[in-house]
Order: sequence, then structure tokens, then C-alpha cells
Amino acid sequence: AQCQQYLTVSALVLCMDVGFSMSNSAPGEEPPFELAKKVIQKFVQRQVFAETKDELALVLFGTDSTKNPLDQDGQYQNITIHRHLMMPDFELLEEIQNQIHPESQQADWLDALVVCMDLLQRETKGKKYDRLNIVLLTDLNTGASADHLDVIIENLKKDGITLQFFLPFPVEEDEEGGGDADRRGPSHPGMGKGLSREQKNSMDMMKHIMLSLDEEDGLDQIYTFTNAIEQLCMFKRIERRPMSWPCQLTIGSSLSIRIVGYKAVTEEKLKKLWISVDAQTNKREDLKRETVYCLDDDNETEVQKDDTIQGFRYGSDIVPFSKVDQEQMKYTHDGKCFAVLGFTKQSLVHRHQFIGNQVIKIFAPKDDEEWPCRPSSGRWHELKMVAIVRYAYDRRSNPQVGAAFPCIKQDYECLLYVQLPFTEDLRQFTFPSLENNKKFTPSDTQLSAVDSLIDSMMLVEENENGEQVDMFKVHQLPNPAFQRHFQCLHHRAVSPGTPLPPMEPWLKAALERPEVISERCQAPLEEMRKTFPLTEVEKKKKVKTSAQLFGKDSEEPDAKKAKGDEEEEEYNLADIAEGSVTSQLTHRIEQLLSNKNTQYYMKSITCIQAFREQSIEVKKKKNTLTIFHLRKYIMIGLEVFWDLLVQGTISLFTWDCRISLKSFLP
Amino acid sequence: MAEWNAYYHNEDEEEEQEEGEQSGGDYKVTGRDSLVFLVDASKEMFIKGEDGQPSNFDMTMEVVRSVYTSKIISSHRDLVALVFYGTEQSKNPRNSFKHVYVYHDLDEPGAKRVRDVDGLQGDKGAQLAADTMGSGETSLGDALWCCANLYSDIKLRLSHKRLMIFTCRDDPHGDDSTKDRQARTKASDLKETGVVIDLMHMMKPGGFDVSLFFCDIVSPPEDESELGLQLEPCDKLDDLKKRVRAKEQKKRTMSRLNLCLGKGINVAVGMYATAVMTRKPSAIRLYRETNEPVRSKTRTFHTQTGSLLLPSEIKKAQVYGKKQIVMERDEVDTIKRFDDPGLLLMGFKPMEKLKLHHHIRPAVFLYPEEDEVKGSTCLFSALLMKCREKNVFALCRCISRRNYPPRFVALVPQKEEVDHGKVQITPPGFNAIFLPYADDIRTVDAPQCPVASQMQVNKMKEIVSKLRFKYRSDAFENPVVQQHYRNLEALALDMMAPEDTEDLIMPKVEQIDQRLGPLVQEFKDLVYPNGYNPESKPAAKRKTGQSGAEKKPKMEVSEDELKAHMQNGTLGKLTVPILKEACKQFGIRTTGTKKQELLDALTQHFQFFL
Repeated sequence: AQCQQYLTVSALVLCMDVGFSMSNSAPGEEPPFELAKKVIQKFVQRQVFAETKDELALVLFGTDSTKNPLDQDGQYQNITIHRHLMMPDFELLEEIQNQIHPESQQADWLDALVVCMDLLQRETKGKKYDRLNIVLLTDLNTGASADHLDVIIENLKKDGITLQFFLPFPVEEDEEGGGDADRRGPSHPGMGKGLSREQKNSMDMMKHIMLSLDEEDGLDQIYTFTNAIEQLCMFKRIERRPMSWPCQLTIGSSLSIRIVGYKAVTEEKLKKLWISVDAQTNKREDLKRETVYCLDDDNETEVQKDDTIQGFRYGSDIVPFSKVDQEQMKYTHDGKCFAVLGFTKQSLVHRHQFIGNQVIKIFAPKDDEEWPCRPSSGRWHELKMVAIVRYAYDRRSNPQVGAAFPCIKQDYECLLYVQLPFTEDLRQFTFPSLENNKKFTPSDTQLSAVDSLIDSMMLVEENENGEQVDMFKVHQLPNPAFQRHFQCLHHRAVSPGTPLPPMEPWLKAALERPEVISERCQAPLEEMRKTFPLTEVEKKKKVKTSAQLFGKDSEEPDAKKAKGDEEEEEYNLADIAEGSVTSQLTHRIEQLLSNKNTQYYMKSITCIQAFREQSIEVKKKKNTLTIFHLRKYIMIGLEVFWDLLVQGTISLFTWDCRISLKSFLP
Repeated sequence: MAEWNAYYHNEDEEEEQEEGEQSGGDYKVTGRDSLVFLVDASKEMFIKGEDGQPSNFDMTMEVVRSVYTSKIISSHRDLVALVFYGTEQSKNPRNSFKHVYVYHDLDEPGAKRVRDVDGLQGDKGAQLAADTMGSGETSLGDALWCCANLYSDIKLRLSHKRLMIFTCRDDPHGDDSTKDRQARTKASDLKETGVVIDLMHMMKPGGFDVSLFFCDIVSPPEDESELGLQLEPCDKLDDLKKRVRAKEQKKRTMSRLNLCLGKGINVAVGMYATAVMTRKPSAIRLYRETNEPVRSKTRTFHTQTGSLLLPSEIKKAQVYGKKQIVMERDEVDTIKRFDDPGLLLMGFKPMEKLKLHHHIRPAVFLYPEEDEVKGSTCLFSALLMKCREKNVFALCRCISRRNYPPRFVALVPQKEEVDHGKVQITPPGFNAIFLPYADDIRTVDAPQCPVASQMQVNKMKEIVSKLRFKYRSDAFENPVVQQHYRNLEALALDMMAPEDTEDLIMPKVEQIDQRLGPLVQEFKDLVYPNGYNPESKPAAKRKTGQSGAEKKPKMEVSEDELKAHMQNGTLGKLTVPILKEACKQFGIRTTGTKKQELLDALTQHFQFFL
């Protein structure tokens, strides 16, 4: 949970064009209005589920009516403030879904921008905001008057408001030269018919504004609708900044350099966990979870929590070790630290030995004007050396050993810190050699088949300008798990009582091979199929077959996961354990099975029959015989027994056997 | 049955945890691993090396100790035994074997055992060994038989059985061919019951000839190559440790998956965790009266009726604001399901496209599973060779378990490497590097800083080269974990105080200072403004106005000084106010007030004069 607190709140105005030209589209293409609405929906959805404290307003222009404080003397017409600055919620999501429709007027987008600026100024007064941002979604199809352009730019600068534009088409880049070639996708709908004079005019004004605000990267803040839906560029940009971690980089006792660290890459998890509620009432309070402690004896004698103490295992010994003692004797250190242990060749630090789940970027502190020059980072990169450092976030956290790599970029230099393993973390496995083994050495034909497969599946290619184009950038893909999660929650919240929606087509497609590649690799794959004979080794009953065998099982949703299954076992186990007869039976079955002989297997099955009857008696309800006990026998290699059990005496299990067997099969 | 309690896990964080993914494999279901150290206790083993080098026996005990302690920390459920052969005294379960001394029976290692082994080290240890066991006749056959009994006496299910022979005698029975034959028979009996026999042969004068006798005793290597027998005898402790380490850990797959290249082309691969963060183990609850461990059981019941609830009577929910969103339990799982588990090849990219900072979790290792799909090894091997040759990695979509959402991995080819003793140090296969999604990358604003001058860079380079060392990934122990176990050891053995642990990740400040010598001051002179103290808190943000005015008189700098700074590349040492003042002084117009802008302006101005 390092660097997770953020400073303040940001304010954002979504300003969407709903005027009539937004509904125009070429046949077979989605109208810009729908795309823009999707962008907004996605964005708000993300904000709602992230539960950020950020505030959001929604302004529509091109509306039939007019509702804004600047509405005077026929100015600022057809612009509606739909929602004032506040935290986004489900209500807003529902409104966007149900109340925002294409309308029949047109409004000046510069006027709309002024309304947004005015709104920000009024509604942020007296509060501290981290960032003010306006997002304009429009097709630029209205003749905007350039009269006050300079005043607008001046005010934007003065108030520190940043701008983002979302258009149905990409801005042409010829004049600006370069730009990030692969940032924007290959083809865009809406481009085909060419731009109107108004659009071209508006486009020039927009560029002027953006370049006035940020000379270098201003145009990077102009996106297309389609890209925004599929990529995160828009959302990323307005995210709040991670906390800084100021520290000293020390080399020996007398050389220290002031630094500041930011968590730059880390595996993000969903912040919210599922809670259990009662199925009937949907109330959390109706459920109670209780943990009891019991001795490991035949009676499972319960003991009070207060009568237990803390202990640890030391191999075969169990050592009582109270919390107080532990606290007193534990390893302590001086706290925050980034100390160089030494420098080593970069080639000795292996990429696959990186451990932990984050990368920290280390910079020179920003506010330190006295800072003499960039931190020592760049200074040694030519040597291909890295620093091995001791890193401790603060006094409470455990110190780590890690590597600091110098990283030289065009516009900044920094150190990249990654944790490295301790001795205890390494598993030095050895594997049979592949090259020295004649049995598995591929032939020349086989090698050339692989060769052409690789050639046909290269994801990075040079385009006609000699620039490298990467057609599959994982780090620009939003985490599909989050997308799906939000989609389903959103759906359930807005339309309760209906089944969950299918995955969005773009998401599904994003997880598959790019089409170009799949086409190109057909022939080489065919060659691979011919040259490499692959035969699946016959194993004991596979997952599917056993699922079929267990009639009722088909009702079990396929998506049951192993953990859930185990949870069910717990109940059953606890219930069965009540009957001492059952435990005797279990013991007997185990004894019989340990002989590994068909004759004994048959006896075991008789026992299992009895077991089942006993379980019914105990439970006096639905049958809950679990296959839990049987699981271990499968594992010990009693496949023969298992087969007998499954095939010969299937009647044992056909009724409402509640456990999906699938998960138990190895 | 004792293992049942493992299922009463605490469910509070159940749903979102992916903990299984990084654990070293599924231990619960496969039984215990076991390892027997069969150590030669003949006189030859106790001969000290030249220059006071430790004897072979000493080295062996050191290794046994390190295996004991590492087992305690990383896999305390494994069973380990220590047996000596060629002793004078005998001690074994039924005392049916002469000259075989079972020092430690097959059991989980504990604190006492570690102490026992400590006691056998050094001169005192040699004396103790001589007193208790002595050196006598050798019958490896009897020793192996005795070990076989150790295995069969164990009531627990054993998954992996290994026996390591430590000796420096390549012909233990001299001319006694009966004993040789007997040993061979016993060895093959053992191998038949699934015991893997390894030879850890050590240096002796004249070299160790494996082909004389031991080639018939040890198990053939996994890959049926002759690699195993070509091994040179060990004469260094580190080598021996490495060799034992490599054998002692049983490989366990985290999962077996199909790597799908295209429709119908599935290569079976196993996924192995080769670096897993070892944490302090969690505490176990003990009953206060007896110190025996208790089990915990968690149940869910209805608040009103008090009846236990079946899973079907529970739903899952998340609350956002005031809105509660409810789903069926299986819907929660369905959301996470994208496809069946497996690796799907997306394509290939040149190696330089793999970014160093794209790291979100430890990598895993992939190796083919010929037992699952025949032909896998050959294709895997071809892919490995070609990826290396073309310097590319394979990009795959990875769903590692049922109902796990997809992640993308870069499969980076890794060539097999062996050390001078022909011991494998890196296995052949692919390392799967997990790649971040856009969500995992945070936006960090890079602060602008002036560029360092060539002189400053060179000075830093000098510092760097003075502090060079050879990094080894296994060189640093975790001080937190070590301290914890030392504490436990002290408590378990009633020691007065825990043994001191050396914090290996503490910088050796004195040595560093000594090595750097005057370099530090030289560097500071080059880089820091006079009187700059990086350890002081950064001055509170300068208020515009007054404070600047007060300081003004000091800000002047002569033209000569400026030129000198420029020639030495130390202009950056000057503070912003001085630089500003200088610009004013020489009538240089600047566009900005950032340090770099000032520096640029000054440099440009003086370029003509230099």
C-alpha cells in the first residue's frame, strides 16, 4: 500500500456535442453521437467504480433548449448544463443511458467551451483542486467565431485548465510532422467523406488553442472516439499522480544525493471485494460468520480463542512465541533508505529474477532548484552497470535488495528500481538438457518450419516510412478483467433482474491474434502441423467425460471454480464428521485401498456405498456425500480404483451429488 | 486427516486473492518429499586439505546443515535423514546392520538436529565423530539396505525419494567383489521402489573414478544423457552446496498448460516458479494449557434462525455509494472467465521491445511436458532455438487457471548453461515475463533537470568503477526471515539469546569510504554549490519577494569565474539566483527561468568568447 494515497481532488467537465450533425454517418458506420456517448459512459463508469473523489460536470451543446448562466441577449444558446460539478454516481450513469439523445440544433463549440470554463470558475471557488480539465467531444461541424480566441486561451492559461479533444476523425499530422505514429489506429471511419469547410476551420482553431497551451505535446491531447473506447489514453491522462517518496541516495557515509521516487508500474487490483449476503433478503446483516477453534482430538473439543496463544513452526518443533516477544525480538532497522551496496555489470542481473510487483522511478526532486544536475543516473549508463541497493520504504516495512538501472530518455533521466530475490526466494531447479538429447533434436525441415512461422507472425514491422510499428501493445490495453467487471456491475446496477451481458466485441477481439497475423500464418501453421507430429497422451478420464458421467453435473455452471468447491466441502465435512460411524468407515476404506489390489477395491466400493447411506442419515436432508475423501486416492495413483468407481458403480453418484468432480481430477 | 485443517482457510479475503498462483506448487495433495544423506565416515573423509582446507567430512556436514536450515524455512514438511556408513559402531532401528550408524532418522528437521550437525563440524566434530561412531569396515550394501528400511518404516505417503551418497572413495570395498555385488543389488532394489540415488563424490588424491564402481549404483540422469557421470569430483564447498541444492529441491509445476500455436497445434508445457518471495510464516494457534496446535473452523450461519447456510443460500454483493449490486456466486466466477486455461501464441517481437520496466510480478519458467503431449519437447526445442537465433520473444495470452482472467506474457528464450564442474546453472526453456496492462502503468511527471557535464559524468564513472563487484542472486539472505528463525531457534533450544545474524544487505560503509577515498570530495566539489547540504530539508518554497532581495549582494559572479565554470563544465553548480544575476549582468535575454534555460542561454552567449 505504498504511494497509494493521493493528494487532492480534480474537477472535470465533460462537454458533449449532441447537435444534429453528430447523428450523420456513412452507411454501416456508427454515428459519432453513439461513439461519443460510449466514451462518456465508459469514462463515468470507470470513475464510479473507482470511487474516486474527483468531481465531474456534464455540459451538452446543440440541445433544443438552453440552460446555462451565460444565457443572455441571445448569446450562448442551445447549451445545457446537464449536471453541475459533483461526484459521479449511478444516477448519472442512468441519465446518460436514458436521457441523452441526439438533438436537432447546433451550437458554437467555442461558446460551449466558455460555458465550461465559467462553470469551473464558479463551482471550484473556495476549494482546492489538483487539476481542472475540460473534455470536448464534438465533430467540429459548427462555424465557430474566432473573435475571442485569444481571450479564451489567456483565461485557460490563467486558470490552469487543461483541455482534451475527442473527434470522430484523426487530425492530419502532415504539417506538424511526426507525432506518435502508432498512437493512433490505422483507419478511422468518418475520414472517408472528407472534412467540411467549417470542420477544417474549427480544426485550425482547435490546433491553435492546443499548441498555445502546450507547445510540444498539445496535439497529443486530441483523440479519436474509437481509440478512446478501446484504449485508456483518455482515462490515464487525467488520473491523479502517485505520491512521491523523498529519500537520500547514499554511497558510503559521506556522499548523499537527494532523490524522489514514484511507483511507476505495479499490478493494479480491483479495490473492492465481494461480500456475502443472504440469498433471500440480499442483506449482509442476515449472515454471520464464525470461527471456532478446536483441538485435534477425536471429539474435536472446542476451545475459546482466549485460551489460545500464538506459536510458530521451526521445522518439526512448534515454538510458542507471544506477540510481545515477537515484537521485541524482531528485526529492526533505521527506516527509509536507498543505499548503494555496490555496482555490478547489468548482464549479471537477470530479467527473469526480478521479484516483487512494482517498478519505482527515481528522480531528482522537483522543488529543489538548488539541485545541481540530474541525479547520478545518467552518469554511468555508458558503463552498462547497475547499482545494487538496499531499499526500505519506511521503518515499518521490510528492507529489500534491488537493482537501480539507469534510464536515459529524451526528455528525462531517472533510475528504475526493481526488487531482486533473496537467497531464500530462489528455487534452483535443474532440467534435462534439450540440446544434448538426440531423441528430441528437431530436424532441419522442422527448424525451417518454425523459422517461417516466426517470420509470418512478427508483430513489429516497418512501415513505408521506415518507422517501426508495433501492432500489439499490451501496455496500451486496458485490463480486460476490469473492463468486464465494470461492464457486468454497470449492467446489473442499471438493469437488475436481467442476465449478464456478453463480453463487448471489441474486448473479445482485443484478446485475439490480430487479423493480419492470423491470415498470414495460415500456411506456415499448416507446415508446422505436417512436420511436427503431436499426440496427446491418453490419460485417465478427462475432465469432460467425467462431467458427462455425472448426470446432474451438467447443471453445474461450468465456471465454478475450485475454491468455491472447497468451500462446499467444508460444510459437508463438518456434517459428516458428526457421525463416528462414518469416520470408522473412512478409516476402513483407507486401509483397504492402501493394498492397491482390485479385490480390495471392490470391498472399498462396498464401504463407500455404506458411507453414502450413513451420510444421508446424518444429514437427514439432501445427500451431501462428498468426493472429498476420494480425492486423495485419485492422487496416489489409484486410477484403477477410480475407474471402477466411476464406471461400475456410477449409481452411487448420479443423484444430486453436489460437488463437481471435475475440479478434483488431476 | 491432519491435512484437512488446511481447508478451513480463512475466507475473509477469499474471492479476490490469487495466492495460489505464486506458491511453489500444490503440496497438499502429493505427499511428502524425503531425502537421505548417506555419508562415508571412513578415515579418508577426515583428512584435512592443504592449507587448512576443511576435510571432506567437514564440507559434507556444512552442506547437510544448510539443507536442514533451508528445509526448515522453505519446506518444513519434507523428511530428512542422516546416515553414516563405514563406522566402527552401529546404530540402526533393529541393529541388524553392522557399521551403519543412523544419526538422524527420517523425519522433519528441527532445531535440535541443526545443533547436532553443528556438533559434528570442525576438529571438535571430528573428535566427536571418532568417539561416538569411529571408522571401521565398509559395506555399502548394508548401508543401502538400512536406508531402504528407513523409507519403508515411514507411515506417511512419500512423493519423492532421494538418497545422496557423500564419499571420496571410488572403490569402497577394495577387492571384495561379493560386497560390490551386494551393493549393486541393494541399489537396484532401492531404485525399483522409486528412490533416486545420487553420488556427491569428493576430491581425493589420484582423482575419483566413477566407472570403477559407482556408475552401477547411481540412478541414470533424467535425460538419459551421460552428463551425470562426467561430473568432476567436488573440491570446493560452494560447488558441493550448489550440486546438492540442485538435486535436493523437487521441481513442482504450478500448472500444466497447453501452448497453442494455432488450431490443433498444442504443445504441453509445465509452469515452474523459480523465484518465490519467502515471507515470515504465519503464526499458528496453540492451546494455552498444552501448547498443542488447534484447528480453526469457519462457518456461516443465519443470524435469525441460527441454521448453517448452504452455499446456494448465499449471494455476493458489492456496494458503491448507496447502491448494492448483487450477483449469484457463479456469476461472480463467470465474470472472471474469458477462456479455458492455456497459453495462446499471439506473435513474435524483437527482444528490444521487451521493456525493462514492464515488470508486475515474478517470472515463471516453462519446460515441455512430454508425458502430456508426445512431440512437445521437439517442437518446444525448435521454437527455443529459433527464437534465440532470431533474437525474438513470443508474445502469448496466458490464462493460468480456470476462471483466471487473461494476462499477457513474453516468452523469453533461455539457453542452458553449465559451470566448470558441468553442473547446470541455467536450465533450457522459456522464461515467461508478465506484462503490464495500461492500468498497471502510472503516469509520473518527470521533473526537468539540467544535464550533467562530461566532467561530472567522468567523476561518477570513477566512483562506479571503484565500487564494482560481482552480483550473485543467491548472495543476500533476507535479514527479516533469518532473524525470525534465529529467534525461534533460540526459543526452541532454550538458548540465552538468539545467534547474531549478519544483515547482508547493509552497505559496508567503511569499505566503501575507504575505496572511494578522495573521490567523494572531488565529486562534491564538481557538483554541489558551496555549502549545499543534500541532507538538510529542502528550503521551504521560496517566497517571492523579500528573502530574495536580502540575499542579493552575494549573487555576483565575475566574468572570469563564469568562464572557468564553463570550461570545467561546472556551470551547473551555480544556483539559479546567481545564474539569473549573471544573465542580467551580461545583458543576456532569457526566455524562461528554469535552470536549464538559464544555463543554455549563458553557454550560448559565451560560446563566442571561448
